[in-house]
Amino acid sequence: MDTRDTFQVQFKGDAQTYFGIWIVNLMLSIVTLGIYSAWAKVRTKKYFAQNTTIDGRRFDYHATGKQILIGRVIVVAALILYSVLSAIPVVGIILALGFIGVGPYLINRSLKFNARMTSFSGLRFGFDGTFWHALKVFLLYPVLCLFTLYLAWPFVARAQQRYYVKNHRYGTAQFDFESGVGPFYKALVFAAFWAVGVVIAITAVFFGPALAAGQLFGEDSIWVTSDLMTVVPVLIIVIAVLPAGFIYRAYIRNAVYAAASVQGGHEFTSTVKPLALVGIAITNALAVMLSLGLMLPWTHVRMSRYLARNTYITVNGTLDAFVGAQEEEVSALGDAFTDFEGIDVDFAL
Amino acid sequence: MTSPSDFYGQTSSGEVTGHAYAAQSSTRVNARLVRDGAGVRLLADNGDVLYAGSPTSREHVSGGPILMRFGEDWTFDTDDVKGANLLLGPSSDSWLSNLEVWHPRLIAVLALCCLGVFAVWQWGLGLLVAVAIALTPAALVSSMDTGNMAAMDRLFADPTELSQTDQIMVRDVFENIKAHAPDAPYGDYTLLFRKADQIGPNAFALPGGTVVVTDALVEEFGDPDILAGILGHELAHVSERHSLHQLYRSLSIYVLVALVAGDVGPILEDVLLEGSALASLAYSREHEASADIIGVKTAFAAGYDPAALADFFEALSHDHGDGGPEWRSTHPSNADRIETIKKLAAEQ
Repeated sequence: MDTRDTFQVQFKGDAQTYFGIWIVNLMLSIVTLGIYSAWAKVRTKKYFAQNTTIDGRRFDYHATGKQILIGRVIVVAALILYSVLSAIPVVGIILALGFIGVGPYLINRSLKFNARMTSFSGLRFGFDGTFWHALKVFLLYPVLCLFTLYLAWPFVARAQQRYYVKNHRYGTAQFDFESGVGPFYKALVFAAFWAVGVVIAITAVFFGPALAAGQLFGEDSIWVTSDLMTVVPVLIIVIAVLPAGFIYRAYIRNAVYAAASVQGGHEFTSTVKPLALVGIAITNALAVMLSLGLMLPWTHVRMSRYLARNTYITVNGTLDAFVGAQEEEVSALGDAFTDFEGIDVDFAL
Repeated sequence: MTSPSDFYGQTSSGEVTGHAYAAQSSTRVNARLVRDGAGVRLLADNGDVLYAGSPTSREHVSGGPILMRFGEDWTFDTDDVKGANLLLGPSSDSWLSNLEVWHPRLIAVLALCCLGVFAVWQWGLGLLVAVAIALTPAALVSSMDTGNMAAMDRLFADPTELSQTDQIMVRDVFENIKAHAPDAPYGDYTLLFRKADQIGPNAFALPGGTVVVTDALVEEFGDPDILAGILGHELAHVSERHSLHQLYRSLSIYVLVALVAGDVGPILEDVLLEGSALASLAYSREHEASADIIGVKTAFAAGYDPAALADFFEALSHDHGDGGPEWRSTHPSNADRIETIKKLAAEQ
């Protein structure tokens, strides 16, 4: 068969249903002093996975609350031990070094767990990254990059994305990743342009008049006579730094989807518009703040819907032909670790 | 709630359509779950029986499909949630799905959230801290003292340059205070002298019972009554386990917030962490105030003038100012402390 069909990813979750799930999750997590949060996580991930479809076939998430809880208990115990022992200075340094060694291992475990617990069309994903490779892309390359003043960062970003994509499997079908470094430089340059441009504009608007009037320094300088010292940094973060981050992510996402493929000739396309993503992210943040958090479920659903709508898969033949293999069990230890460290390892969709 | 026999016909017959997937395959099979005289079966569209019997497990998250597992070989999903429930009877966790429905009752759930946060803040944290302290071995606390002293000596503290007479005078005060202070929870109280000009006239206690006095403190405030007040205050920090309380409290908050972080999102997470950091300052001020009270009482019991500590804070205010608004500080304002100490001293 050499028919090629392109499917748009569909997300059919809605804010009302998710609000109910979210608030009940939160309530039960609070009254159980956080214990229920393991089941809450499972329920949320199931909701988003099950409502995401390609060609009418669902994703699903299969971890159990018990698995997640056991992982979290171990990580919390380790964390408490770590902070108490860190109070003893020499031990603290040894622990910090050990932490660096264990980090890549736990990140791999987390990627493996999340891949194994995610299915599409009834078949599970898999992840086979190795320790040394993870150590290289997450630790060694970023440190070496320092010596290039981060000018070589796009190479590091590409290496990380390649590691992430290439080591994933769908059943037994391997993902592949083929990309020049150009798109990664493009992402960095556009994001930097935005940030620098906005900083220049802010400076001109706020300090231009003062500069013209000679009030930038001295007795009656605007530093003394106004609140600029507090307003300007906030403005720079909100309209220069944060949007630049989303612009970067939009370009990277499009580049990674264009570069990725699955064995059998199936390809991906992402058509996220950087400025549209910035608009959604900023209005989402505003909605969360103005509603004291109550609009959070709405913002999640809205973002998922936008990303799904801009994601396509071109199937070479049929989605029916994938098969899986028996695999060993994976514990949720790494997953709990990345949860606590705030590392995002979700299967990017 | 409707009882199963009203609604969910164990007797009725019918079918729901959906998709079946064989184990280890992405192949989608159009299938239907049928219930009739012959019992429950999973049938492929072409009539093949995929599985005879009821599903071995079943799950449903609000807004999603019903997912069923049939032995090791087949899974089946259907969007016809109502139809499947009519066929199979209500599932055991349906109360959760019912609670999640968009309904005014969610306002009560929200209120329970707020109430819960308040209760955790008011009692839950105290409980966690108490459990953690009970589980902490004494040897660990003592090694915190040794470790911290070693680090301090390396970084900014030098051996004392105080005269023998000065040292003996402070030691006498220390022994007197020690005799009247509450018992030390982890090993005995020990006094150390260090020259550490970076931190000025200062004294502090480590959780295991080590009390450090800087040369500058003895040189500037060599009055035994003042030293008695200060040492009483520091020993109170040790006996009340204040630093362990603060360590475990901030850890508990961090863990609790991290547990719900996925649910509250990054913005609210920051608000929670910042808010609790501010509130922890109030907690720290409470500890200082309580150490003042115990310290004054100890100094008085040991035969010193309890009001002398107030003179110390007056001198401190005079030399170093009162430093920023109280809500941003780990210590109560000097003015407040002076007033409290004077009042306490008058009561003794």
